[in-house]
Amino acid sequence: MNETPRALNRVLLTLIGLLLAAVGATAVALAAAPALAGTWHAVTRRAGAGVENVLAATTLPGQRDSWLWIVLALVMLVLIVLMIAWVAQQGKGRASTLAADYNDDGGPGTVELGAAVAEQALKAALLEHEEILHATVATYEFRGTPGLRIRVLPRKGVPPYLVAEQVSDLVEALDLVIGRETPVVISIGTSARARLGRTERVH
Amino acid sequence: MSGTDYQKQYDGQAGDRFNDRLAVRETRSSRAPAAIIAAVLVSLICLYVLLEAALKAIGQPAWLLEPRDFAAWLNQLPQNVPPLILGTSGVLILFAGLFFFLQGVLPGHLHRHVLPSRRGIAVVDDEVLASSLARRARTRANVTEDQVLVTVSRTLVEVQLRPTSGIPVEESAIQSVVEDELLRSHIDPMPEVRVRVSTSGVVGQ
Repeated sequence: MNETPRALNRVLLTLIGLLLAAVGATAVALAAAPALAGTWHAVTRRAGAGVENVLAATTLPGQRDSWLWIVLALVMLVLIVLMIAWVAQQGKGRASTLAADYNDDGGPGTVELGAAVAEQALKAALLEHEEILHATVATYEFRGTPGLRIRVLPRKGVPPYLVAEQVSDLVEALDLVIGRETPVVISIGTSARARLGRTERVH
Repeated sequence: MSGTDYQKQYDGQAGDRFNDRLAVRETRSSRAPAAIIAAVLVSLICLYVLLEAALKAIGQPAWLLEPRDFAAWLNQLPQNVPPLILGTSGVLILFAGLFFFLQGVLPGHLHRHVLPSRRGIAVVDDEVLASSLARRARTRANVTEDQVLVTVSRTLVEVQLRPTSGIPVEESAIQSVVEDELLRSHIDPMPEVRVRVSTSGVVGQ
């Protein structure tokens, strides 16, 4: 649960992949089939002539080179900035406010509930359970709504539905405390410590 | 921050849809690593082109490649490079492209199952599920931890069990125990269970 732009990731990856694959396929085709060389020469010569014409048409009198080079440099700059922005979007969405009440009920001020309230309360409650080795609770925003992401690492062999049940109980108790239901993701996983540790023998 | 909208978005049918979206997100890869690799790659190429274009724009000699020389080199392509080198680099670029393309197109299921939960959504890693199934099978067959191997995939649960020699293990009993544990987990759709009890036993432990 976070605000990684998954659809954008897939669209851009597909586009970049297709582009690279097309370049690679052209190189392979040229290497494998010398008969294609003639067509390649003709096509690239025509394209090159077209580019030369455009460059000549955009060269201002008195200048050596076309101003298109400046445009190209600017376009590259924009692309680099966009790529950095794309990377910055990955895994975004960590929130510090779990719930906020901006309802205008006449009273002055607003109520904001920090994420740490729920995170620390839940974590402490989870770690009291014998069959849970480790738990992390973090608040993430998904579509503008903050929600809790609870990662629980139970001991080896513990039925996951029991763990889910216990965590649900705790979350319901938390709902009562904070007075509203926030979205919750319970993720049950494993770790090296769970793999190597002793199994739960008594239930 | 639109504090008052939270509840509206999360309640009722919209909440169900919201949870469904969350479940899909939790069980599929976000493709963030591939996205970062692709972004770095594109930025590096753009950085180089930016440098050469800027040099050209201010009328300085090119750094590594004069754009016109490069265009001429491209035009002459199959002749000026040994076919082996051209072919191998082409195949490498093709594979890199295929990698990114498949990352973009394949569903990218994580090894996880969704469990029904009263509150929000719950996902469980297949490994955790497998270890709980292994524990049930192990206690039913009365064998040690090392004698059971359970692998869980999206639609199939495979149980491999090596009995202690002299103590026969009924395949159907293990099957029903594992299926019972899966039923209690309410995993939907219920994966098929395949139990294999090996014919050779392990010396008593």
